Amino acid sequence: MPVLEIQDLTHVFPDGAVAIAEINLKVNAGEFLVIAGPNGSGKTVLALHLNGLLRPTRGKVLLDGEPIDKNIIAARKKVGLVFQDPDNQIVGQTVAEDVAFGPENLNFPPAQVGMIVKESLAAVDLSQFATRSPHALSGGEKRKLAIAGILAMKPKIIVFDEPFTGLDYPGVVQVLKEILRLHKTGHTILLITHELEKVLAHADRLVIMHKGRLVADGKPESVIYRAESYGVRMPLKDGEKVSALTWLK
Amino acid sequence: MTEGTVASRNMNLRMTVYTALFTALMIIGGYISVPLPAGPVPIVLADFFVMVTGFFLGFKWGLTSVLLYLSLGVLGLPVFAGGRAGLAVLFGPTGGFLFGYLLLVASVGLLSSKGKPSIARNLTALVTGNILLYGAGVPWLKAVMNLGWTSALAAGLIPFIPGIIIKIAVASGLVRAFLPRFKERLVSFQ
Amino acid sequence: MTLFHYIHKDTVLHRMDGRLKLASLLLFSLAAGFASDLPDYLAPLSVLICSVLLAKLPFTVLLKEMRFFGVIILIVIVVNAFTFPGDPILKSPFASISRQGVIAGLRFAGRLSIVLLVSTVITGTTPLTRFRDAIEWYLRPVPFVPEARVATMINLTFLLIPVLLDSFKEIRNAQNSRCGQLRKNPVKRMKYLVFPLLGQTLRRADEIVNAMEARCYSEVRTKATFKCKKTDWFLLAISFAVFLFVLL
Repeated sequence: MPVLEIQDLTHVFPDGAVAIAEINLKVNAGEFLVIAGPNGSGKTVLALHLNGLLRPTRGKVLLDGEPIDKNIIAARKKVGLVFQDPDNQIVGQTVAEDVAFGPENLNFPPAQVGMIVKESLAAVDLSQFATRSPHALSGGEKRKLAIAGILAMKPKIIVFDEPFTGLDYPGVVQVLKEILRLHKTGHTILLITHELEKVLAHADRLVIMHKGRLVADGKPESVIYRAESYGVRMPLKDGEKVSALTWLK
Repeated sequence: MTEGTVASRNMNLRMTVYTALFTALMIIGGYISVPLPAGPVPIVLADFFVMVTGFFLGFKWGLTSVLLYLSLGVLGLPVFAGGRAGLAVLFGPTGGFLFGYLLLVASVGLLSSKGKPSIARNLTALVTGNILLYGAGVPWLKAVMNLGWTSALAAGLIPFIPGIIIKIAVASGLVRAFLPRFKERLVSFQ
Repeated sequence: MTLFHYIHKDTVLHRMDGRLKLASLLLFSLAAGFASDLPDYLAPLSVLICSVLLAKLPFTVLLKEMRFFGVIILIVIVVNAFTFPGDPILKSPFASISRQGVIAGLRFAGRLSIVLLVSTVITGTTPLTRFRDAIEWYLRPVPFVPEARVATMINLTFLLIPVLLDSFKEIRNAQNSRCGQLRKNPVKRMKYLVFPLLGQTLRRADEIVNAMEARCYSEVRTKATFKCKKTDWFLLAISFAVFLFVLL
C-alpha cells in the first residue's frame, strides 16, 4: 500500500482561478520524489494539501489508506512541511525554543520535550547553537533549524518546498546532505524545486507540474527530457547522465 | 550640504518607512485575530499594534502613525476593525476607542522614553495607556448610546479584560525581545 | 484576491480625476454614516452597483470574496437581534428576538455594504499612485504637513498590507503544520504569531529604506499633474446628489 495517495485533487481559489486540477499520485514508503515545475504551476498549493492546511475543492489525500481529514492532527504529525522561507517558520527566540514548539503543542511532558529537542538538534548538527538566537544563524543553518523543528514531530514523510532558494554553495551542500541523511534513515521525501541540477541525481522519481496539472511522472532519466517543454530548465548537457545532477562531490 | 543634514534626511526616510509599516500592522491587526479558549470575543490585534507602535516609534512618529491610520479610515477605506470606515465610525458608538488610540500611543510613547528601560516602566506605560484608551472609549459609548454605567461597562470593558491582560503581557515580552536591538540600530544611523 | 486591488480597464470611472474620486469616496462614506431609512440605504447602494457594472469590475468574483464580511454582518444581526431590548417578534423562554434588534443589525449591514462597495469601486478603478497623488494635492495648502512625506507613507502602507497579510498567513500555516492550533495558552499563542511577524516587518523596513535610498529617494520630487473633464464633475455631482438625498 502506498504511504501517500492523492486522488483527483483539485483546488479552485475563490476568484475562480484553478490552482491545481485532477492530480493523481501514489508515493511509496521510503521513496525520494522530486516535484518540479515553473513558478505558479501549483507545487506549493499541492504541498499545503498534504497535511490539510488547504482543503481540496474536489478529491482527497490518503495517508496509509486513511483520508487525512479524518484525523488532521495525526496527518500533521505524519507529514512534516518545511516551508520555503524559514523566517516564516521560525517562531522561537532561541534555537532550542523553536524546536520545542511542536512537541509542546502536542502537550508532551517537559522532560520528553527536552529530550526530543536534544535529539532533533543533534540530528541536524545544530546542538552547539541551542541557546543562540535563530536570526544569528546562516541561511543553511536556518533551513536546518526549520528541519529540526519538523523532525521533532517525528514525521514519516517530509515535504521540502524549494529548500535551496537563496542559499549559497555551502548552504545548499549542508541542506542537501541533511535531506539525504533523512532519506537514508527511512523518511519518505517529497522535494519541490525548479533547480533540478542540485538534487536530481539522488531522486528515485521525478514528477513535473505545469499549470496546475501533473504532466509527467516516472524515472528521472526518462522524464528529464520532457522538462524543458514545461518550463523547467533542462540541466543535462550532451552526453551527461542524470547521476551528474548533484551539488555534492 | 553638510554631513549632518544628509544623516537627518536619511533618518526622516527611515522613520517614514517605519511609520507606514506600523500603520499597515494596525490595519491588518483589524483583520487578524487570535481566538480565546473561552468566551465569545476573539482578540483583535489593532490596539495591540497601537501599543507596540508607541514603544518603537515614540511620541511624535507614533502619533503620526495612528493619525495616518485614522485618516485612511475617515476617507472611507475599510481599515478599521472588521472592515468598517468613514467619519460616522469615528463619531459613532466605538469612536471613543479610536480617539483613545491617539491617547494610547501618545502615553506609551512618552512614558517609555523616560528613565531607564525596565519591565516595570514598560508595564506602567502599557497600563496607563490602556486606562486612557478605555477611559475615552467607555464614557463615549455611554454618551452616544445613552446607556447606564453598568451596561456601558458590560458592553465596552468587561468582555475585553482577559484580552487586555493578554495583550499587555505579549506586548511587554515583545518590547523586551525587539526594542533594545531596534534602538541600537536607530542610533547607529543617526 | 481581487477585492481592493486595482483592475485595469478603460472606462469613465477609471479615467476619472483622482481628486474628484477622493471627494466622492468621502461623500459616500458620509452618506453611509447618516443613512437612517430604507431609501437612504437603497439609493447609494444602487448607484454603487451601477458603478461596479460601469467600471466593468468582475461582480460575481467580488461578491464571492466578500463572504468574510457576510459572516461578520450575519453575526452582528444575530447578536443584535437577541440582545437588543425592544418589542419581541419571537418569544421563547431562553431568548427573544426583538424587532429593534433586527433593524439595528440590518442598519449595520447596510452601512458596511456601502463602505465595502465604495472602496471596491475606488480601489478597483484607481491605481495607488493616482490615489496618493490626489491626497498629496489636497494636503498642499495645509500648513506644517509635509505632503510629500505623507504621500510616501500612504503609498508604502498600501504596498505593505498585502505583503504583511501574506507573511502572516504563511506564519500561521507553518505553525499549524506543527500542530500550533493545539496550544491552549493564549499568551503563548499570540506571542508565536506576533513575534515572527514583527521581526520580519522590522527587517523588511531596512530593506525598503536601502532600496529607496539606492534610487535616490527625495521629498522634493516631480509633482503630479491632473486632468479634469466635464464627465468627472458629472460623476461627482451624482455622488453629491446621493449624499444630499441621504442627509435630507
